[in-house]
Amino acid sequence: MARFSLYDEEFHPSPWQQTWQEFRASHIALVGLFVLLMFIIFSVFAPWLVPYDPLEQNVDGLLIPPSWQLNGTVSHLFGTDALGRDLFSRIIYGCRVTLGSSFILVILAMLVGVSIGAIAGIMSGVRSSILNHLLDALMAIPTLLIAIIIVAILGTGLVNSMWAITLALIPQFIHHTRTFVRNEMKKEYVLASRLDGASNFQLFFNSILPNMIELLVVQGTLALSIAVLDVSALGFLNLGAQPPLPELGAILADGLDVAYIAPWNVALPGLTIFLMVLSINVVGDGLRSALRKRVSH
Amino acid sequence: MIRILVRYSVLFVLTLLVLTALSFVLAYLFPGDVLVNLSGITPENEVQRDALVRQYRLDQSYLIQFWHYLQQLMNGNWGYSFTSGLPLREEVGLALPATIEISTYAMLMALFIGLPVGYYAGIRSYSLSDRTINSVSLISYSVPVFWLALVLILFFSLELGVAPLSGRISLMFDIPSVTGFILIDILLSEHIDHGLALRDALHHLLLPTLAIGTITTAAMIRITRRSVIDVLQKPYIAAARARGLSRPQIFVRHVMRNASLPILPLMAIQITTLITNAMIVETLFSWPGIGNWLIQAIYQRDYPALRIGMLAVSTLVISLTILVDMFNRMLDPGRERFERGAI
Repeated sequence: MARFSLYDEEFHPSPWQQTWQEFRASHIALVGLFVLLMFIIFSVFAPWLVPYDPLEQNVDGLLIPPSWQLNGTVSHLFGTDALGRDLFSRIIYGCRVTLGSSFILVILAMLVGVSIGAIAGIMSGVRSSILNHLLDALMAIPTLLIAIIIVAILGTGLVNSMWAITLALIPQFIHHTRTFVRNEMKKEYVLASRLDGASNFQLFFNSILPNMIELLVVQGTLALSIAVLDVSALGFLNLGAQPPLPELGAILADGLDVAYIAPWNVALPGLTIFLMVLSINVVGDGLRSALRKRVSH
Repeated sequence: MIRILVRYSVLFVLTLLVLTALSFVLAYLFPGDVLVNLSGITPENEVQRDALVRQYRLDQSYLIQFWHYLQQLMNGNWGYSFTSGLPLREEVGLALPATIEISTYAMLMALFIGLPVGYYAGIRSYSLSDRTINSVSLISYSVPVFWLALVLILFFSLELGVAPLSGRISLMFDIPSVTGFILIDILLSEHIDHGLALRDALHHLLLPTLAIGTITTAAMIRITRRSVIDVLQKPYIAAARARGLSRPQIFVRHVMRNASLPILPLMAIQITTLITNAMIVETLFSWPGIGNWLIQAIYQRDYPALRIGMLAVSTLVISLTILVDMFNRMLDPGRERFERGAI
C-alpha cells in the first residue's frame, strides 16, 4: 500500500494491524504461517483426520512402502512400520503429542519466567543481583542434562521430560523480561503512572505488560522451536515419551531398527519434525522483521 | 579490570558451590541407598557398611556430610561407577576430553565458515545472495540434530561408504590416552604410522563434526549477519560514507570490529546448545564422550555416575559461559551488563 499523503489516508492501522501488514508482505513468512497452521489443525483435529488407529497393529501389512513407491498402496499413505501400524496416522498423532506438549510447556515456562522476571526487574539491590547472577549461570545448564537428572529421579515419561524442558526454558524468559522491565521502568510513562499513585503491581500489569506482549510472542516462537526439538530429541533418546505413545522422536527411534530395509520410517518422522521447526522459525523470523520494520518506519 | 576479575571469580565459585550442593542433594533424591549413591560401592556386610558410613560421615549432620563431600571431590575421590566398578574420576577424565574435542572442531567450523559468510550476507543485506544464505542458514538451523546425524550416516556411511560408522579411530591403532584429545595423542604416541592414524582419525571425526557444526554454523551466520546489518545502520557509517570512504575501507575500519562485539555474548549462549547437540550426536556415532557415557549411565541407572557426570558437564558449560562473559566484559566495558539479543 503506497502512502503518499499521510493526511488523506482514512485508515489508521493499529500497531497489530501494522505488524500484520508487514508480515504479510513477506511471502516466505506467509507460507511458513500456513504450514504452521496446517500442523496446528492436524494436532487439534487428529482423531477425526486419521484413517487408522495409531496404535493398531496389523500383522498382514508389515513394512508396506509409502504410496508413491511401486509396491505401496493408497490405503497406507506413508506406509506402515515394523508392527504394521499406519505411519500417516502415527505422524498425525505425533504432531499432536509433540506440538501440543511443546505449546503447553512454553506457556508454562512463559508464565513462571515472566512472573519471576518482573519481580527481578522491579526489585533492585543485592537480592536482585544474586538472583540475576545465579540465574545467568544456571541458564547455561543443557536441557539434556536436566532431563537426565529428572528422569533419574522420577523415571521416564513424556510428562517428566516436559518438566525438564520447562525448567530449561524458564531462565530465558526471566532474562528477557527482567531486561525489558528494567529498561521500561526508566521511561517517562511509567514515572507518570507512578506519580498517579500506581503500585508496582499495577505498574506492571497496566503499563509494562501491554508493551511486552510483542516481545513475549517473539520469544515464545523461539522457545517453541527449541521445545519441539527438545521434546523429540528426548523421545528419540528414549528418555521422554515411551514407545507405544506416538511422539515424533519416539517414532523415529522405533524406525531406527528397520532403517536399512524401510528408510521411510526414519525419513518421514524426521522430515515432519524438521518442517514443524522450520515453519515455527520462519514465522518467528517474519514476526521479528515485521516488528523491526514497524518500529523503524 | 581487577574488579571485574574479582566479581567473576566470586560468581564462579558461588555457582560451583551451588552445583556441588545440587550434586550432593542428588545422592539423596535418587532412588536407592544414599550410601551407595555417594560411594558407588555396594557394602557386602554390616561391618563394611559401618566403615563406609563412617568414611562418608553419613552418621553426622548434613552440613558436615557436605563439607566432607567437598573435600573428597577436591582430593579426586569421586566414587565408583556401578556398572564398570572403575573410579569415576578416571572415566570422566577419558570421556570429557572427547566431547570437548569434538565441540571444539564444530566451533572452529562455525568460526571459519560462519563468520565470513555472515559478514558477506550482512554487507550484501537484502540482495539475492543474502536471501539465499539466510534461507539456507534458517533451514539448517531447524534440522533436528539426531535426524541430521542419521541422514549423514545413511548417506555417507551406508550408501557411499566414504566415512566410518562409529567410534573414534580404527581398532588397528593402539593409541594410549595422554591428553584425551585423539589428534594430539596420535602425535604423541610412538611405534605407529602417524600419517595413517591421523587420516583414519580425521575420517572418524568428519561426520560427527559435520552434524554438530552445521547447526552452530547456521546460528553463527545468523548472529553475524544481524550484527553487521545493525552496525551498517549506525550514524557513524553514514558519516564515513559522507567522508568518501570506499566500501572496503568502511568495512575494514568500522564494520568489522563493531560488528564483532555483540557476537561474543551470543556465542556464549550457543555453547549450551553446542554441548547438548554434541551429547546427542555422540550416542549415534558411539563416540566415547561424556554424552554417550551419561546416556548409558541413565539407561543402566548408574546413579553415582550420573551425579558426577552432571557435575562435570555443568561445570564445563558454566566455566566456558562465565569465561566468555568475562572476556566480553573486559573487551567492551561500556556495554549494558545483561544485554543479550536474539538470533
